[in-house]
Amino acid sequence: MSGATTTRPVHPELGLITVDTPVGHELEGVQKVATIQLMGSRVWGRFNPNHWDPEYAANAGLAAPIQTGEMSSAYLAEMCVNHFGKYFFINSRIACKYISATLAGEVISTHGVITEKTPTERGVRFTVDIWAQNQDGEKKTAGEVEVDVDR
Amino acid sequence: MTTTPVRTDALKPMTPIQAEQTRAFVNGLAESSTPYWDMVEVGDELSRDLHLSPELVIMYADGVEEYNPWYEGWAMNIWHKDGTSPFGGAIVPPMLVSHFVLSVQFDHTKPFAVGSIHTFHDSRIHAPIPVGATVRISAVAIDKYVKRDRRYVRHEVTVTDVENGTTYLTETRDIMSL
Repeated sequence: MSGATTTRPVHPELGLITVDTPVGHELEGVQKVATIQLMGSRVWGRFNPNHWDPEYAANAGLAAPIQTGEMSSAYLAEMCVNHFGKYFFINSRIACKYISATLAGEVISTHGVITEKTPTERGVRFTVDIWAQNQDGEKKTAGEVEVDVDR
Repeated sequence: MTTTPVRTDALKPMTPIQAEQTRAFVNGLAESSTPYWDMVEVGDELSRDLHLSPELVIMYADGVEEYNPWYEGWAMNIWHKDGTSPFGGAIVPPMLVSHFVLSVQFDHTKPFAVGSIHTFHDSRIHAPIPVGATVRISAVAIDKYVKRDRRYVRHEVTVTDVENGTTYLTETRDIMSL
């Protein structure tokens, strides 16, 4: 169950993180299924059959078609916008390393933990470890985000 | 031991004509493919302009099931609209232009490099991009290296507004090549 009975604002302009949010705070992620039809859509993986054609992927030694890494980055960015709102669009940093391929049909969830807070003139610069993993807990993408939040 | 070949329709239903069309498309890509490693020299710079139309933004967002209304400069029934975001009108999802860097790195005038894999990016988001902007995506090949018997090409990327020069995104990214 999603437990979607909360009354908190959706897409809050300033996000859910404030300057008082502590190190160790865990971001609530998003979940997606690596759906073959979306993986092979024209603006995503259509240009490379490894992203959507099971026959081609098998010949390349893959267990199944693999998502483009940028889809994981987009999932992680969605989580960051949920938590940092407009701040994520100004002077932020997001680094992602695609450490394992996401296979068609896997359920991907995103995660984040605040690891550092650095005071700035206007507030705090947060550093957050981020990652995406499948339903078995296997990490697919790992990286880091830095975002300025005003006080 | 024999293995059963994987069928084109293994993961989604297809009629024979759909499978034939799929194989024709895939075979066409393979015929014009060149290893990326061989296509790029350090110092190569490629640049293209991309109009971030409302429809393009919607297609990108739908592909990752991202339904934040901040990105909607187009809606069914209404079609074009200004949209709303914390910055006024509709804006572009934060990683959209990073995704389209791929189209610049792979020189569209040369054979396509099937088999390359994007492995890493380190992106700085400087400012929000309004839907409707035209951006110039420039990518410079800064390194080619081998690590654990795998070949990588590294690029530095800049994304700027064609009209007012605003820098929206800078990025370092790696492509692993066959």
